[in-house]
Amino acid sequence: MTTNTMAAGAGAYDTHQQRSRAAQWRADKWMMVGVFFMGTAVLGLIGLPFFLRGLSLQMRAQKAGFTVRPIMVTLIGYLVAVDSALNSLGWALDLIGNHTLLARVFLMAWGNMFDGGYFWHYNELWIGGASAPGEKAWVVALLPLMFSMRIAAAIAFLQMKRWGQQWLVVTCWFGVIAWAGYVTNMTIFADVRYAGVVFPVVGWWLYDIFYITPFLAIPYLHTVNREIFSD
Amino acid sequence: MKNPVISEQDRRRRRSMIVFQIVAYGFLLTMFLIQLHMASVRNW
Amino acid sequence: MKDSAKELQPGTTAAFAGMHQWLQRGLIVCLVALVLEGALTFPLLAIWYGWPTLSLQQICSEFEKIRFNDESRECKYPYPLFAPAEGAGQTTAQDTWGIQPRPLYQRVEFRGLIHRRDARLARLAAAAAAGAGERAEQPAPAPARPVAAPQPPQN
Repeated sequence: MTTNTMAAGAGAYDTHQQRSRAAQWRADKWMMVGVFFMGTAVLGLIGLPFFLRGLSLQMRAQKAGFTVRPIMVTLIGYLVAVDSALNSLGWALDLIGNHTLLARVFLMAWGNMFDGGYFWHYNELWIGGASAPGEKAWVVALLPLMFSMRIAAAIAFLQMKRWGQQWLVVTCWFGVIAWAGYVTNMTIFADVRYAGVVFPVVGWWLYDIFYITPFLAIPYLHTVNREIFSD
Repeated sequence: MKNPVISEQDRRRRRSMIVFQIVAYGFLLTMFLIQLHMASVRNW
Repeated sequence: MKDSAKELQPGTTAAFAGMHQWLQRGLIVCLVALVLEGALTFPLLAIWYGWPTLSLQQICSEFEKIRFNDESRECKYPYPLFAPAEGAGQTTAQDTWGIQPRPLYQRVEFRGLIHRRDARLARLAAAAAAGAGERAEQPAPAPARPVAAPQPPQN
């Protein structure tokens, strides 16, 4: 009798796990499509409904009793990916594509409106791109290093891998350093950044404040029950 | 606070996270206020 | 609150339920804001700086003229690969130099690049007309174009 029920239990457990995984994957497919579009900036509004549909699918699966990923893990993982993608887009334009029409119209327009660092003496350095004091160093340090690491960590985090959680902790603390250093640099060379700009100071802060993802992720990453992540 | 069965460790962890948030946002706010002050003085 | 244990997400213990709830709200705000920003930035910037009256390349040219304070500059596109940076060695940009350099270019008003371009074209047309008038009695000096209407690029 015991063996029978145990076998049946194990079978039911397996089915449950399988159906949970299927439900999660179904939700993830919607969210991945959404995040792909949201990461391109221009097509973001196309992506948002996809993402929200995926999120609601996941919530529904959770209510139905399936073991799916916690909502917070999903939100943080995908938001970190979107944040990194948007940052990478702008900075890849500055680092590699600084003589494209796209950069010389939209990056210049953005710089002229919010941050003179992306207008002042632009494309005058031998390497091209932003010439504001210190700016190029931040671009090089953050784009190929921090943001690429953070995207990798976010993917592993979404897969509920332990290293994903750990590396998200590491790269989010990177993010705090980046914010602190970057903003201090802007404050010190404020004349270059804000003189002759359409919306100085308030414009930049309103535009950029929504990139504080790491500040919101860190408290969660340090207080989540680590048992839910697997090796 | 509401829940009396929170362990001492969790209490400390929560406090340190709240302190972190206050310090981090406080730093950003300080920088913002400095820049705002500069904006009012320097006629950008 | 008694049933909160049932509602708690995996990974969230009772001690941090409130904190995680707040963080979740913040995350959703950031996500929606980033998406809206990303979607609106390009079209709104384009409109502010004069598109579609000005083509993207014309906007690019106006930016270059402002940046390097040199009305003769044009935005080369496509820019030759491996050529030196477009601004390399320029000597025209205006700054108050010092330990805190300060640019002297002026703020661009809403669709100000259009007026800027029109004014320049009018200046050039007037100069050309004056030049033609001096040169001898030509069959009517190049008529001053109605510069208010957008013209195709003159170059």
